[in-house]
Amino acid sequence: MTTAAQVSGRPAKPPRSRALIAGIVAFVVITAISVSERFGIGLDIVELIGDLWRVQPILEQLVSPNWEFLPKVVDPMLETLQIAIIAAFIGCGIALPISFLASRTTVPNRPTLTITRGILSVVRAIPDFLYALIFVAAVGIGPLPGILALIFFNIGVVAKLLSETIDGVDPGPIEAADAGGSTRTQMVRWSVLPQVLPNYVAFSLYAFELNVRASTVLGFVGAGGIGFLLKVQYGFSLWSNVSVIIISLFVVVFFIEIVSIRLRRRLV
Amino acid sequence: MITFDKATVTYPGGVHALKDLTLEIPDGEMLVIVGLSGAGKSTLIRAINGLVPLTGGDVVVNGVSVRDASSKQLRELRSHIGMIFQTFNLVKRTSVINNVLMGRLHETSTWRSLLGWYKPDDVEIAMRALERVDIVEKAYVRAANLSGGQQQRVGIARALAQEPDFLLADEPVASLDPPTSHVVMRDLQRINRELGITTIVNLHFLDLAKVYGERIIGLRDGELVYDGDGAQADEHVFRDIYGRSLTADDVMGQAEPEPAKISA
Repeated sequence: MTTAAQVSGRPAKPPRSRALIAGIVAFVVITAISVSERFGIGLDIVELIGDLWRVQPILEQLVSPNWEFLPKVVDPMLETLQIAIIAAFIGCGIALPISFLASRTTVPNRPTLTITRGILSVVRAIPDFLYALIFVAAVGIGPLPGILALIFFNIGVVAKLLSETIDGVDPGPIEAADAGGSTRTQMVRWSVLPQVLPNYVAFSLYAFELNVRASTVLGFVGAGGIGFLLKVQYGFSLWSNVSVIIISLFVVVFFIEIVSIRLRRRLV
Repeated sequence: MITFDKATVTYPGGVHALKDLTLEIPDGEMLVIVGLSGAGKSTLIRAINGLVPLTGGDVVVNGVSVRDASSKQLRELRSHIGMIFQTFNLVKRTSVINNVLMGRLHETSTWRSLLGWYKPDDVEIAMRALERVDIVEKAYVRAANLSGGQQQRVGIARALAQEPDFLLADEPVASLDPPTSHVVMRDLQRINRELGITTIVNLHFLDLAKVYGERIIGLRDGELVYDGDGAQADEHVFRDIYGRSLTADDVMGQAEPEPAKISA
């Protein structure tokens, strides 16, 4: 019998990689350590199941939403949408020029690239929740700290996505602009921007979507919107009211996502 | 007038793309460069507008040294040199007229170009450039919706919109079928004759080179191996340039307007 390796010219089958098995073993071991009482969080499955029964009265209220509360949800929900739109508008506006300084294709020199990417990494490393805490401390509670927090959040997300898109544009039109004696700014405006504009609009829509979702968390630290209302009702354990808030939030987010996906599909 | 004075280009990998090239290109000439791929044709063309930096010698265009030019001087120099590319290099997602107007950017201030407020005179120049290559009816069509031949004519219009003294064409017909290739080459010939623009074209196909090149230069391994009349270049000349016998791949065939006299 002739195996593949014995036929001259064909390579021998490489030995099976052990990386996958090692990875699975490592994952199981790390999970076990995390659950263990001594090194980890001390998760007790029996206790966990016992605790689930205490949720029962809360669940009963959650499944019977108090619809009379709905009118009180409308204003905070509008506030949330306004915060999301204003923050997306400003944040994405700032992200556009920054993106050109964070892409190898369009940056004027290496140091600028390193600095811009460094700043963006820091901006992204701070979670939206932390931005909200900082700005609530700085300017007081209300919608303003929410807007400020989401602006930074959006700059981080959109500049990252857009600069990576710019890295991949067709270099031909850039060469054509250079050959014609254009300045760098003119090259960016006419060779690069038209190529990435649909992506940019799509990323901005996505940022707006993320903002509406983030509003629940932001409200908890006093940064305005529907999250603030949620926090109050939660504080008083008014679960049927909480239920109404969750359902309306679900509907709004779902609706925005559907519209946004449709728009984005048309663009790109 | 373009003068190469011992121009040398060595790429970072150590490849000598251009070796001690000395060459004079008088104004108004239609020059065709032939050679195998990798012979240095693209490098020669890009040395003229500084897209490829020289590592030795100099190239002087209209009295300006490309080697010593500051980036501002280089932009000024490039504004007098139109360039046409094998892959057209159009921005496909925008309109034809926006692509052609890129040829007017060197005359447009930064704020005007950012807002897209081109002067009416510049729009007029762009429209006339489109008329010259007979494609003005597509001005407001997206470049992506044009055929290859149409896209290359838009590329020529963009170069013409610069109102250049020189036209560089790097394998302008390599992505086109034979009949379209002749349309594009005739456009270039007409521009050279009617507007007196010095035109330098890289070509692979020998029959095209013979038909359209008033003067032909041959490159092999970055060195000048032939310089003479297009009419006089025969099969032996091309064999010398290529350093091998000719094959069917070296001619385009379907020759028009007059049959080329090179056997495959």
